[in-house]
Amino acid sequence: MRIQKVFLAAALIAAAPLCLFSQGVTLELLIHQNAPLVDYITSFNEKFHAQYPNITVNVSVVKADELATSTQTRLTANDVDIIDMFGFAQGIQPFMKNADKPNWQTLIEAGLLMDLTGQPFLKNYDASAVRDAGSFNGKVYEVNTGRYAFTGVFYNKDLFKKYGVKVPTTWGQLVAACQTFKKNNIAPMTAGGKDGWPVLVAGYGILLSAYPDQAALVKGLWTGSITWNDARSLDMWKKMQVLARDMIEPGASGIAFDAAPGRFASGAAAMLPAGSWDAPAIAAANPKLNFGYFPMPGSDNPADNKYLAGKYDVGWIVAAGTDKKDAAMKWLAFFSQPENYQAYVNATGIMPTQPTAKLNTVLGREVAPYLANFRLGYELLWVNPKGFGQWAQPNASFFKPFNQWDDARKLADQAQADLDAGLKANR
Amino acid sequence: MKLGYYFGGRASRLVPYLLLLPGMLLYFFVSLGPSLATVFYSFTDASGLLGAPMHFVGLSNYQEFLFMGQNIRDNADVLVRTLEFSFLVTVIQTGLGLAAAMLLNQRLAATTVFRTVFFLPVILGVTIVGLTWTLFLYPVGGPAEKLLNLLGGRSEFLGGPPFQAFLWVTWVQIWANMGVTMIIFLGGLQTIPSELVEAARMDGAGGWQTFRSVTFPLLTPSLNTNLTLAIIGSLQAWQLLLVMKGVTNGTQVLGLIIYAIAFGRTSANPTSVAMRQGYGAAASVVLFVLVLIIGMGAQVLMRQRERRVLG
Repeated sequence: MRIQKVFLAAALIAAAPLCLFSQGVTLELLIHQNAPLVDYITSFNEKFHAQYPNITVNVSVVKADELATSTQTRLTANDVDIIDMFGFAQGIQPFMKNADKPNWQTLIEAGLLMDLTGQPFLKNYDASAVRDAGSFNGKVYEVNTGRYAFTGVFYNKDLFKKYGVKVPTTWGQLVAACQTFKKNNIAPMTAGGKDGWPVLVAGYGILLSAYPDQAALVKGLWTGSITWNDARSLDMWKKMQVLARDMIEPGASGIAFDAAPGRFASGAAAMLPAGSWDAPAIAAANPKLNFGYFPMPGSDNPADNKYLAGKYDVGWIVAAGTDKKDAAMKWLAFFSQPENYQAYVNATGIMPTQPTAKLNTVLGREVAPYLANFRLGYELLWVNPKGFGQWAQPNASFFKPFNQWDDARKLADQAQADLDAGLKANR
Repeated sequence: MKLGYYFGGRASRLVPYLLLLPGMLLYFFVSLGPSLATVFYSFTDASGLLGAPMHFVGLSNYQEFLFMGQNIRDNADVLVRTLEFSFLVTVIQTGLGLAAAMLLNQRLAATTVFRTVFFLPVILGVTIVGLTWTLFLYPVGGPAEKLLNLLGGRSEFLGGPPFQAFLWVTWVQIWANMGVTMIIFLGGLQTIPSELVEAARMDGAGGWQTFRSVTFPLLTPSLNTNLTLAIIGSLQAWQLLLVMKGVTNGTQVLGLIIYAIAFGRTSANPTSVAMRQGYGAAASVVLFVLVLIIGMGAQVLMRQRERRVLG
C-alpha cells in the first residue's frame, strides 16, 4: 500500500509539467504593419492553432519604421518569441571605415537571436536566400521568406488605355504620360508621403536607372570615384525634383503608406511608385482594377531602365531567451510547409525564396521578365559614415513640397558636402 | 502626550528619516539613479541590449555628437530649433493661459463648462492629441483643407516645408498644455483679495490699469510656476513631433534626436540602423546641461522679479 502511494506521488510529480503544457503555450509574435501580411498571419495562426490546439499565437503589429526599435526593446525585455525582421543588410564592407554595425549583427553578438542552423525546415528555402539574407559567420539566424521589388511603378491599365498612354520605357515618355493625365484632371501619381520613406523609395527607381550597379555606387561614394554632385548624379536629382514636385499629386504628404494603395485603386491617380508589397492591398481595395507594374524609367536610355531592385523582406528570427523553443520551431516548420508557404506567397505577393513556390499573380507575371536581373537596392548596401550630414542621401522627399529644397544643383552640392564631412572625419 | 517625545530621544530622531526613506528610495531608483546611469553610459558604447559587450570610450561620444563632421551643423540647427520651440511655447502658452484664466474668472454663464473644455486636451495624451490634429490637417479632403479651400487657398499643412510643419506642431503643443497654465493662473487669481481690486477701481483705475498694477503683480507666484513648467516641459518635449511628423530633417528637436539615436531611428535610415544608447546618453546629457542652464537662469530672473514686485 505504501509502495502504491509512493508510485502515485511520483506519477503526479512527473505528470505536473505535462499538465502545465496541456494548459497551453502562448507564442508572442511581432510583425510590421503591412495589411496583406497581417491578414495572412492572422488566418495562418488560426490554422496553426487548429493543428496544435495547445499553442496560441499572440500577434503584435508595429509600423515598419518602428520595427527595429520594438525588436530591440522586446528582445531585451525577453517578452517576445518570434519576430519579423527584414533580411540581413547593410553589412560593413572593408572600405567602410569606422562604420557602425547593423542592428542584426549587434543582436547576434549580444546572444539575443537563436541559432537556427540545421533546422529541417531550412531545407525548403533557396540556399542563397538562407546564406545572403539570414546568415552570419556561417550560422543561420533568420528564415527569410521572400523578396520585394521597390523600384517599380504600379499603373492603372484602364486609365492608360483610355488616354492612349503606353507604358513608358524612357524618362521622356514618363514625363509626357504625366502631362497627359494632368491635362485630363487625373493625378499622375500618388504616394504615401505622410510616412516619409515611401517618397524616398519612389526615387530609388531614378537612382537605379542612373546607377544600375548599386553595389558599385556604394563603393564609389565611399571611395570618392562617384559623387552626389557629378553630372550623372545631378541629372538624377533633377529628375527626383520633377517626381516630387510635378508627378506626385499635391497633398500626398498627408497620405499614409497604407492608405496610398487604396487611393491608387480608386482611380484617383494613374500611377503609384511603390514596392511590390503593395500589390495585394491594391487588389483587395479594388478587385476589378486592371493594373500592372513597370520599372521606373529614370533614364532616356531604355537599356538603363530594364532593371528592378529590391530587398529581402519579411524574415523570422527567434529570441534566444525564449522558453517556448519547441512551440516556436513548430510554428516555423508549419509556416515553411510548401502548401502554407504558397498560400503566404499568394496572399502577400512576395517573390518566393522557396524554389517550389510560384508567384501566380498579376504582379508575378509583371515582374517575371526582370527577375533574372533582379538586384539588391541601394539602401540594403549603404552604410552612413559617422559624422555625415543630414542631406547625404538620395532622397526625393528632400524637395518641395515635402521638404525645403527647390534647387537640384544646391541640394546635390549639399548632399556631397554632407557626405564628404563624414568621410573626412573617419579617415 | 507631547509630540516632541517621539522625536526627543536619540533613536527616535531617526524616525523622520526612516519615514522619508521609502520616498527617497523610490526617487533614487526611479529618477536619480537612471539619471546618474545615463551620465555613466554616455562614456560607453552601450547598445542597450542585454548581453551586448560594453566598452568605456571616454569623451568620444561627446566629441562625435558636438564636433564630428557635419554633426556640429546639424546639431546646432536642432539646438536652435529646440530653443525656438521653447520660446514660442512658453510665451504663447503663458499668454493664452493667462487670457483664458482672466476670462473664466468672471461671473459669466457656463464658465465651468469652458474651463473643462480648455482643460480637456491635457487629459487626452500626446498620441491622441497628435493623431486628432493630424486628421484635422489631412491635406487631401481634411477639415482644415476644406476650410482653406473656401478661402481659395490650399496647404500641405504638416507635410509641407519643415518650418510650416514645425509651427503647426508648436501650436498643437500649446493647445494641448494650455489647460494646465490656465488652471494655475485661475488658482492664483482666486487668491487675490477682491478688496484690492475694488480699492483700485474706487481710486479710478480702469480695467487695464487694475490688471497691470494689481492683478498681474499679485499673480507673480503663479506666473513663475507656469514659466518654469513651460520652459522645462518644452525643452524636453519631443513626443508630439514624433507622432505628427516622425523623424524628418528640418523638424527635429533635441529630445527627438536623442530618442532617434538611442533607439535606431533616424531620417537617414528609417528601417534598420545601429543601436547606440551610449551615444544617445551623451546627447541627453547635453540636453540636461542646456535645460539646467536655461532653467536656472530663468529661475534667477524670476526670483529677482518676484522680490522686486512682492518685496
